[in-house]
Amino acid sequence: MQSFINGLALGWIYILIAMGLSLVFGTMRILQFAHGEVYMLGAYAVYDFVVLHGLPFLVAMPLCMATGLVLGLILERFFFRPLGGEFLPTIMIALGVMIVLQAMVTVGFGVTPKSVPSFAPHAVEVLGLRLGSDRLIAVAVSIALILLLYFFLKRTKLGLALTAAAQHREASLLMGINPTHMSLTAMAVGSAMASVAGGLMGSIFPLNPVMGGTALMKGLIIIILGGMGSLPGVLVGGLILGFIDGVAPVVSGPATAAIAPLFIVTMILVLRPQGLFGHE
Amino acid sequence: MSKGRPNTWAKRSALAILIVLLFCVPAVLQNDYWLFVFCLAWINVLMASSLRTIYRTGELSLGQVGFMLLGAYSSALLSKGLGMPVWLTILVGGLFAAAVALLLSYPILRTKGVYFSVFTFLVAEIFRLAMWYTPGLSGGPAGLSKIPPPGAINLLGITLITFTTKSSYYCLLAVVVLLSLLVLFRVERSLGFTWMAIRQNDDLAESVGINVRGHKLVAFVVGCFFAGIAGGLFAHFMHLLTTDATAMFGMLTSIYVAIYMVAGGEARMAGPIVGAVVLTLAPEVARPLKEYQPIVFGALVIFIMFFMRQGIIALPFYLRLWWDRTLGGAGKAP
Repeated sequence: MQSFINGLALGWIYILIAMGLSLVFGTMRILQFAHGEVYMLGAYAVYDFVVLHGLPFLVAMPLCMATGLVLGLILERFFFRPLGGEFLPTIMIALGVMIVLQAMVTVGFGVTPKSVPSFAPHAVEVLGLRLGSDRLIAVAVSIALILLLYFFLKRTKLGLALTAAAQHREASLLMGINPTHMSLTAMAVGSAMASVAGGLMGSIFPLNPVMGGTALMKGLIIIILGGMGSLPGVLVGGLILGFIDGVAPVVSGPATAAIAPLFIVTMILVLRPQGLFGHE
Repeated sequence: MSKGRPNTWAKRSALAILIVLLFCVPAVLQNDYWLFVFCLAWINVLMASSLRTIYRTGELSLGQVGFMLLGAYSSALLSKGLGMPVWLTILVGGLFAAAVALLLSYPILRTKGVYFSVFTFLVAEIFRLAMWYTPGLSGGPAGLSKIPPPGAINLLGITLITFTTKSSYYCLLAVVVLLSLLVLFRVERSLGFTWMAIRQNDDLAESVGINVRGHKLVAFVVGCFFAGIAGGLFAHFMHLLTTDATAMFGMLTSIYVAIYMVAGGEARMAGPIVGAVVLTLAPEVARPLKEYQPIVFGALVIFIMFFMRQGIIALPFYLRLWWDRTLGGAGKAP
């Protein structure tokens, strides 16, 4: 039960990562392979602000979010836009960016794992279960951000335009929505969310420069579970993954825990080549 | 192209000279480290070319390393455990990778585009994790060590060639990879045009009577076969295999292989070869930069994608283009 709850808590952080990945895929039709690195950079940003500069967490998290936002804007403007959305060159640029960012963090911070002091080191007792309050806060922040994103997409003009562009690019273009602005928005929002996810994760687990790979894998699994570009699907996919992550290690050891999610996703692709909620 | 194409004989003799020069590399180099790098370059050449065979039908596989792993482990285990000759086990490793590819081809080939890339990516990771968690086969975190080198061959009773040293293994690699490239070349010669039709528009290709699924299957299985061969070559060259996430069989290798192919230029057979050689050797030249080295690699990839979309292979074309634009254009102006 304990690890089940922990797994679900991590599931919410993965959802943050996958939301960004899905948003970018939906709007720009590209697979952002450097997304895991944005997450990793977010974690290191928090480490930098909190440990090296001694800022409190409440200041560091918004700064971390801003870092992700700016990074997303730079990536879209200078790396993805000039390519015009072609499949292969865009993937290659994303991979190149991924290698460069990883190496830059290695140069800046070294390869040894770094740890951020937990922002809430106490555990609380709920219904006889000991839960780390840092995890509870991480879940609360994730849910708040997801609600904020939901509100942004459904209630604001920009968000509605973004949804429209993700649903049908050409039709939204005819309605006077500028696709370039939408790509910029999607990258900014998606990267900010990934960055916060990194910041939250960094205070639970130690950070290292290759942590982005795992995050990318989890994000890919979730968006395939939920169907590429479908945000409610991401929510479902993330909870399924969190559930598996929580339950499988207890029931049948680490081997199954590592392989089971991948296996389930491949099974879903076998049965529905376009994902669970996807439509082609 | 007013000067006309160079005639085929000149091309062929240039190729022959190049191949002879390649076999002289160990004699000239006399440096174990660089020889190691060259051996890796050969393996990368085979990986990138096998990936290109699949990509000719329009699907980008990001799971080549998974099939490489299958070939490497089956070859290593058969030669180490059962004492089978290495010649045979490398081939069996390739066949095993191809057989698994054949079994998996039905679900994998039902997916297209991004889904295909992600599917193969995940399959490779499943293979790696499955090996990692079966210490009986993979040796667990310590890895599988003491993989035997190929046995000596007796050349007409005159000389005995052993493969214990790096330089002789280099020659073996060169021979096997060149033969494999020849096979890939012949396969593409006979099926390449059909593959191009499938790649440009698979629905249209199907409507004119092309068996799209069958052709994709052939390309996929052939590509995976040679990835398996590359794995076998790698196993008997390194004598040590690990399934650590950051080692050879991690997902980064698939990504690197895709980069070799695209950066070299996937439109032509020579593209992945040039890409693999240049991008394996260039970071080694940058080795004095230590931890800045991957930045050089990544920046190189980004540069190539921005300014030379057709890949390194099209460098002469781009040079001419830039020349015409800058100096040539200025000269013509009145």
